[in-house]
Amino acid sequence: MLRRDFFKQAALIAGSAAVGSTTVDADTTTHPVDNRKVADIAFPQKRPLITYSDRPPLLETPREVFANPITPNDLFFVRWHMPMIPTYINPHYFSIKIDGEVEKPVKITVDSLKDDFEPVEITSVLQCGGNSRSAFHPTPGGIQWGPGAMGCAKWKGARLKDVLAKAGLKKGAAWIKFHGLEKPVYTKTDGFVRALELDKLHDKIIIAYEMNGEALPYLNGFPVRLILPGFYSDSWVKMLSNITVTGTKPKLHFMDHAYRVPDNECECETPDNLAAKTKPIEEMNVNSLIGYPTSGIQVKQGAKLIVRGVAFDGGHGIAKVEISTDGGTSWQKATLDDGTQGSYAYRSFRHTLMPKQAGTLSIMARATNTKGETQPFAEEVKWNRGGYKYNGIDEVTVEVIS
Amino acid sequence: MRKQMVTAVIAAVLITSLGAEENKAEIQKGIKMPYMAFPMKQGKGMYSTKGKCNMCHSWGYVLNQGPQSKAFWRKKVIKMIDVFQAPIKNEDIDEVVEYLYKNYGNGKEN
Repeated sequence: MLRRDFFKQAALIAGSAAVGSTTVDADTTTHPVDNRKVADIAFPQKRPLITYSDRPPLLETPREVFANPITPNDLFFVRWHMPMIPTYINPHYFSIKIDGEVEKPVKITVDSLKDDFEPVEITSVLQCGGNSRSAFHPTPGGIQWGPGAMGCAKWKGARLKDVLAKAGLKKGAAWIKFHGLEKPVYTKTDGFVRALELDKLHDKIIIAYEMNGEALPYLNGFPVRLILPGFYSDSWVKMLSNITVTGTKPKLHFMDHAYRVPDNECECETPDNLAAKTKPIEEMNVNSLIGYPTSGIQVKQGAKLIVRGVAFDGGHGIAKVEISTDGGTSWQKATLDDGTQGSYAYRSFRHTLMPKQAGTLSIMARATNTKGETQPFAEEVKWNRGGYKYNGIDEVTVEVIS
Repeated sequence: MRKQMVTAVIAAVLITSLGAEENKAEIQKGIKMPYMAFPMKQGKGMYSTKGKCNMCHSWGYVLNQGPQSKAFWRKKVIKMIDVFQAPIKNEDIDEVVEYLYKNYGNGKEN
């Protein structure tokens, strides 16, 4: 298939909002499903969002929100694993219990977290590993997210390292397990527990009690959640209530079977030849999204059209974002913001276009990080069974009217 | 006219002060989660499947997996039993898988 034909087809698919209504002939990666409508019902502390499930709540942020580098709390995406989520927490009684391979098990309250530790602020992207999963074909299992299972907020909290020091790590400590208050229906079931190798602990990992200057919304993990800048959100445990230090790698369903990609150079495989070895998804790859314009809108011929969006990676930093209006043949550099929010934050970009011809106009955005890693075209993104780490070049299609 | 303006000002003041108290009040009260209906496709095994899956999660969680093969749905059902202790008896697995595949299938066995 010629690239041009491919994009025409991809644009058609992008325009259809029904979940899973993919009629692509071959098993080729496309753009993720775009422009799904927000629900009629708003969830607590949220504006109406694209809603895949109410129990557990699975909410996606609409594309236009990504015209700005900070995602407001009430528009921030939501993804829980377990159906039982506390709907009331008294922050004065809540505490994080730290035990296991520590000198002295401790309980740390939210007030103690705020008063007894040096506060740290970091602006960081929080992205689901399965963001844009609907781009992959054949359809991998999991929620068929569009591109909005992500957001970027300014988080404030205490360093995990400092909090662990309060309990004192024993010599044999090697792994840190995290558990929040979400619960399965059956008590026998494994909860959503994640673990981090102690070697990977660094100063930027914090336990946050503030998100964009406010208490975290319940659905984003009130009163505290783990922040792992640069990593996909699978370990950003919400309503963090237990930290257990272990000497050996714990056996956990959500570590051993979920959020993994093939352990090979391309992190890819085919349905007929699945990779034997897998590894955790961990660091985010370079990615970008156009927040404005969105597909399907009409713009005036000869009038300024300011393309806006966000770019990010796993913390190396964005070097450039380029825009193409000819299907990826030629590229023009977009203007980046001053980067003062740091390399874990969205780097916002803007680029002014002046559409000369009436008709359909395709706008693509491609980010490159400081390591020289760049986004592939959507159809070049290789498949994996979990539908993780999609980072295809984004494209929106608008209609230029004379 | 003047009276209307005064009323508007009072209303604005009330709204502002409510806004300031909002965060605190919400934390004290907690939140109330809405219910959203995700209609199921009518078909043989619908009620049985509904009862089994909805014990733990919404129907949205199922239908938003996208259309899948029969083998996929079977694997999912077995995972729900083995990993998440779903109360689905061995003799009921086929009925659930058939319903899922017939109504949310991609036409492929594997």
